[in-house]
Amino acid sequence: MNILSSPFDKKPNSVIELMLWVIGATLPGLLVLVYFFGIGVIVNVIIASITALACEALILKLRNRPVLPILFDGSALLTAWLIGLALPPLLPWWMTVVGTAFAIIFAKHVYGGLGNNLFNPAMVAYVLLLISFPVQMTAWLPPVELAQNPVGVADTFAYIFTGANLSGQDLNYARLGVDGFTMATPLDHVKTELSQGFRIAEINQNPMLAGFSGVGWFWVNLAFLVGGLVLMIRKVIGWQLPAGALLGIFLTSFLFYGIDTDHYLSPLFHTFAGATMLGAFFIATDPVTASTTPKGRWIFGFGIGAITIIIRTFGGYPDAIAFAVLIMNMAVPMIDYYTRPKVYGHNKINSANKSEAKHAE
Amino acid sequence: MEKDLIERSNYSSEIPVYQIPGGVHPTEHKTQSNSQAIAKLPLADELVINLKGQAGNRTLPVVAIGDKVLKGQVIAESDGVFSSFYHAPSSGLIKAIEQRPIAHPSGLTDLCVVLETDGADKWCELTPAGDPSSLSRQEILSRIFESGIVGLGGASFPSHIKLQRQQGIDSLILNAAECEPYITCDDRLLQEHSEQVLLGAKIVASLYSNNSEPGSELGIIIGIEDNKPKAIDALIQARDKLKFQNIKLAVVPTKYPSGGEKQLIQLVTGKQVPQGGLPADLGIVMHNVATCFAIYEAFYLGKPLIDRLVTLTGEVCLNKGNYRIPIGTPIEHLRKASQVESECTAIMGGPMMGFEILDKQAGIVKASNCIIFKSAQTLTQAAELPCIRCGACMDACPASLLPQQLYWHAKADEFEKTEDYNLFDCIECGACAYVCPSNIPLVQYYRYAKSNIRDQKIEKAKSDKARERHEARLERIERVKREKAEKHKKAAEARRKAAEAAGQTDAKKAAVAAALARVNKKKAQASQETDDNTTNQATDNHSKDESS
Repeated sequence: MNILSSPFDKKPNSVIELMLWVIGATLPGLLVLVYFFGIGVIVNVIIASITALACEALILKLRNRPVLPILFDGSALLTAWLIGLALPPLLPWWMTVVGTAFAIIFAKHVYGGLGNNLFNPAMVAYVLLLISFPVQMTAWLPPVELAQNPVGVADTFAYIFTGANLSGQDLNYARLGVDGFTMATPLDHVKTELSQGFRIAEINQNPMLAGFSGVGWFWVNLAFLVGGLVLMIRKVIGWQLPAGALLGIFLTSFLFYGIDTDHYLSPLFHTFAGATMLGAFFIATDPVTASTTPKGRWIFGFGIGAITIIIRTFGGYPDAIAFAVLIMNMAVPMIDYYTRPKVYGHNKINSANKSEAKHAE
Repeated sequence: MEKDLIERSNYSSEIPVYQIPGGVHPTEHKTQSNSQAIAKLPLADELVINLKGQAGNRTLPVVAIGDKVLKGQVIAESDGVFSSFYHAPSSGLIKAIEQRPIAHPSGLTDLCVVLETDGADKWCELTPAGDPSSLSRQEILSRIFESGIVGLGGASFPSHIKLQRQQGIDSLILNAAECEPYITCDDRLLQEHSEQVLLGAKIVASLYSNNSEPGSELGIIIGIEDNKPKAIDALIQARDKLKFQNIKLAVVPTKYPSGGEKQLIQLVTGKQVPQGGLPADLGIVMHNVATCFAIYEAFYLGKPLIDRLVTLTGEVCLNKGNYRIPIGTPIEHLRKASQVESECTAIMGGPMMGFEILDKQAGIVKASNCIIFKSAQTLTQAAELPCIRCGACMDACPASLLPQQLYWHAKADEFEKTEDYNLFDCIECGACAYVCPSNIPLVQYYRYAKSNIRDQKIEKAKSDKARERHEARLERIERVKREKAEKHKKAAEARRKAAEAAGQTDAKKAAVAAALARVNKKKAQASQETDDNTTNQATDNHSKDESS
């Protein structure tokens, strides 16, 4: 007989709901990305989603697991969604496919599927692609208002699926800025200029860096911040994780900025640049691969922020959320072990008594 | 969806209230049953009284089949320390004393006294205790014991045992939190009988009066959730009327499981019961308000504990409300009386910690504070999905445990690790399972791990004993051998010594003999050869004596 067990009441939430909330909360960011960089982002998301669901179904079938309930638990879709948001808008379609397939098959299912993976699958995909195809992966478009040759809808598809637009011009054509130079992301640009001996004040003359933290990027980050705050208020994500990550980014960059404002970017720039908000609210908060204790969440988040700034400042990559996340993923078991909360009734007096008792023995 | 009219008391707590970590806010479902006055249901034809106390030990029946009993007559006595008395909940005939299905999560059968009621509901002679303030501590404790009073909050722990420790108790906390959804019997009790509850509490407090300063009395704190504004008002009125000024109300925010003993202590004192310890270690004794009411009745009316308030509720229950129900009333009788369709599931206790009644012929027990009737369809358990490590369980845990780590280790049968993660500090409140988005029945895993660990401990104790016995046996054999060898050695030694001693005497005697011989020889030489033979024979005889 099937005996029911308590509790008989259940908070009306489910994995799929959580996943859909997170996906929904990325929408403001997605829309702003589309506004500044064209619909390539949406095409990426769609390609990644189809790949992810296909791979998930295939692997579930191979592992003799029930396909439909798990396929639609939303987790594969969310991974695909995050990959799509992180990739440059006109990335060749097959790279998106390779990255997503790798994320689902290797980063997720080889470890045992949902709940068992050590590394954030979306970030594994990103890092795999970044290391394998560094040129394409850093080929961001200029924001529409700064582009010499804005890319239309038809050209977007042409670039993604053929590598060239309908007139046969390659990606560099699309990447030309109004000043006639090929555009990079603000973080990339600053890095290059710094390496050539310019000071921050000089670099900031570039129209790309107008506004707060680069044209377009400030708004992208703000949009992700809004979506993230909604998740935080809805308690879909633990608030300590994004708070820790932002604190890590802010304090670490503040440290460098305090030492030398000529050669280090301001904390506010870092906070609203690149993938900061996406990383803090949507990547670091992946429950499966993040720390699970209250203190551990702070440490995990802070670690991501600090490592991101260190790599952005001294490393070879302009943005580094993905590396920071993967590095901290590795530390999670240890963090969790050493940050166990104090259990009810185990306060100091008791433990003191205990150790005394032990000594007495 | 059904709406709960959430009413909160704006009465501010009279003592500072602390916080507990975690906790959840399930839909309260309380207004369904807390607006009607306490009522009675028709008496059941048959009462099935399970003699097992929730605390484990059983009581021994003192009636025989065919006996006629009166309401309130003792039908079972305590077998020792951890059990209590049972009294006939109504008058009638003892029909059977046999194994019957009982109201227990296991769904097993146990020894029950079956009472066929005669409808007269005739009381035996009741003897109220008179003025409680004139009673000695021992008199109070034995009346509580003999009235069959156990903790009515759920654990059914015999009250007289809880009250035995006198040293160091400096406050009495009354638990009126009633944090489980649906249940309103304590709420209703306080709305209608606050005075009696406080009088009962006073008796309990008087057990410790000589602890306090002369002239002052033991402090009483009532812990109550702010979702019972009417009960709070009633308590204040009763206190003012009785002029019990040393009673303080601690109004705690509504949050499950604030009514857990450890949690309520933390809420009203900020202290934590030490691990493996008792509230008494903090100088606290806690009693449920319903228990205090039962104590009141036992002293002022002489009534033993034969019935209790039960909340009958649930979506398919048409007669929702609180009823005074004799112990042993079958759930089936309650189902019919509250007009519930027969195809229903009955849950005893609240939705968070209660359990499904598998056989509705089982009678209610002293711990049955609530029966929730639900339609069987609405109670399907959703499929268990993989844990996504979201940590919602950790955020909900009132004991600050890491429920998901416990779950992983319990699932992997790594019981030592579950103990490392303090499995035994889990109070099984179910808050973790309530919030789990993957529908994992977490508490089931913990119960599984706990019972395995307990079994292992019993096994280990057994095998330890067996090993000790075996080792003792080997040692005994060895010792016997050793002792034998020792004995032999000693005997041999003794013989050797004796022999040596004998040898020495021989030598002396030989010397003496030789000397004699020489003397004799000289004599013989002197007296010619006639005595020679006699001397030789004497020496021979002598040596024969020595060696035997």
